[in-house]
Amino acid sequence: MSGALERYKLPAEVRERLKELRELSKKAEAGEKGARAQLRRAVAKCSPGVIAEASDIAQQAQAMLTKTIAAGEPLMEEALETRLAFMREEIAGENASPLEILLTERVVAGWLLVEVLEGLIAAQYYKGTPKSSRLPPSYIIQQSRILESATRRYLAAIRELARVRKLQAGAPPVQVNTQVNILRR
Amino acid sequence: MALETRGGNLYYYRSIRNGEAVRKVYVGAGEIARISHESDRLRRTGQEAERERQQAELERLEALAAPVLELSEAAEGLAQAHLVAAGYRRYQGKWKRVRST
Repeated sequence: MSGALERYKLPAEVRERLKELRELSKKAEAGEKGARAQLRRAVAKCSPGVIAEASDIAQQAQAMLTKTIAAGEPLMEEALETRLAFMREEIAGENASPLEILLTERVVAGWLLVEVLEGLIAAQYYKGTPKSSRLPPSYIIQQSRILESATRRYLAAIRELARVRKLQAGAPPVQVNTQVNILRR
Repeated sequence: MALETRGGNLYYYRSIRNGEAVRKVYVGAGEIARISHESDRLRRTGQEAERERQQAELERLEALAAPVLELSEAAEGLAQAHLVAAGYRRYQGKWKRVRST
């Protein structure tokens, strides 16, 4: 299972860049001299790569979740993909920055994950589920914990996007040249 | 669980744990020993298979959530870096604009 998950991980160099950005952010927030200017340069340099790789993970995650929820029904898969494309368009809005598009992808993936987990838990309570496929309450508790954490993350994603939109509207932009196609599929 | 042969006869004992202590309980001899042993073995195999199934289900769920978690961490780190670079800092949990940089 862990081997299969490797493809859904950010490459080591991207993780390294993110780590560097986090450290610089901390220094800048602490008021270290020159850190903010250094962070600005690092953001401009690293953002395109990080956004591209993270968007790629988002697309893969959404494809995997869509397949799970569609359970091999092509029509259902198609309908879900269309719904996700509408969601992306609606949430990202017009003239969204690459960062806003990435945050939109995060919201969409979060929503989809919550839907999948809720569906799997609901299936356990469905009358028609054969006894042999039912799982004990201890498992459902663990399943609910995963759902709870996914819901928290989904809500945090919405808050983060709103915050970035609100704050960036009143701040000088950091120039980032990245193109992310939100209607890739 | 132990199937023991003594003097050409079969005897079956179950090990029962009570806290730290393990007690050996006599179940039966001969054919009863053989049937009890086989029935315990089948029950244990069934329980192990059930545990494995639950573990596989949990791993499946975690695998579904893992890429979204990865994406969340990357997006959050990047968003914070953008905000700090744009002149904001967190103050008592809220983002405030820094007057001079």
